[in-house]
Amino acid sequence: MIEWLNNPQTWTGLMQIVIADILLSGDNALVIALACRSLPAHQQKRAIVFGGAAAIGLRVMLTAVAVYLLTLPFLKVVGGLLLLWIAVKLLLPEEGHGDGIQGGGNMWGAIKTIVLADLVMSVDNVLAVAGAAHGDIALLVIGLLLSIPLIIYGSTMILKLIARFPLIVTLGAAMLGYIGGEMLVGDVRVAPWVEAHAPMLHSLVPILGAILVVAFGKLFAAKPAAKVVDLAADEQQAH
Amino acid sequence: MKKILLPVDGSDNSQRAVEAAIGQAKGSSEPVEIHLLNVQAPIISGDVKMFIAEDQIKAYYHDEGIKALAKARAALDAAGIAYAFHIGVGPIAETIAAYAKEKGCGQVVMGARGLGSLTGLLLGSVTTKVAHLVDVPVTLVK
Repeated sequence: MIEWLNNPQTWTGLMQIVIADILLSGDNALVIALACRSLPAHQQKRAIVFGGAAAIGLRVMLTAVAVYLLTLPFLKVVGGLLLLWIAVKLLLPEEGHGDGIQGGGNMWGAIKTIVLADLVMSVDNVLAVAGAAHGDIALLVIGLLLSIPLIIYGSTMILKLIARFPLIVTLGAAMLGYIGGEMLVGDVRVAPWVEAHAPMLHSLVPILGAILVVAFGKLFAAKPAAKVVDLAADEQQAH
Repeated sequence: MKKILLPVDGSDNSQRAVEAAIGQAKGSSEPVEIHLLNVQAPIISGDVKMFIAEDQIKAYYHDEGIKALAKARAALDAAGIAYAFHIGVGPIAETIAAYAKEKGCGQVVMGARGLGSLTGLLLGSVTTKVAHLVDVPVTLVK
């Protein structure tokens, strides 16, 4: 225990997990808020609790699967590349089209939406946490536990902050790129080769990962265009 | 006719800007047209849009906007000043600048610092950005 606490790797891992959780849980929080917003108040609470519980259960299973998969030969390479892509995607403007599946006016519709969305959108979070934990089960559990309140109560504050200060995203993406690089050279088959032939790659690849992600992001990030949309256009009162 | 753009975010600072605009409108010799604006940051990503219908998203932004505008509208109503109100969605400063142009406003009145004063201090504020983007006078209210 003392040894675990004294290991600097524990603390860098924990910090990375916290940042990844904060950065990648916002979308999940938003889906819960949006899926429940048209429900009557008493159903809203139940939908959040049921949907949240199911989503957390799914996340625990996903994490267990991810941790197992990452021990297989070459799968950390795949995971690392995927994480690099996730990091770049964070920096790209997304205009996604909005023919979302209907949340439905009832509670079960909302719960279905929450669970389905969480299944798809927690892959990034699970992968980042699994990578940052470096196989440390205690860190994994902490990372999972931490993401739960962020998903359920984290509301939209974080997203608003991020929207206002893009620098937060750039730094976060760089960190994910670093973790992705670590995963690449940490693969069970790749690591021994690196050790034997080019040990400096061990520290070089993660840094390169971070730099590459930010460079790609800057290269392709178009400035978001400001359009004059007026959502209050229909309700002007005449004075 | 003098047109003033009044972007607010519901914070105390932006409320002081509202009071200043009211004072200006009352003291002006020519008629003043106030355009009250709240801009919602585009926080809904493409991933979220896969799961939530477009009208739900619009309704969400609209409700958040109405909430942010409430205090300013109450103050303007109480002062008996006529105004139009708008809810925009997009990058905050850029959208404010686009509105100023679209509505032909000759002046922007806004709080010197909105929500998040510490982060604003560290990373630059929306206000500074707006001042750079528009070519009409910007009045900062402290």
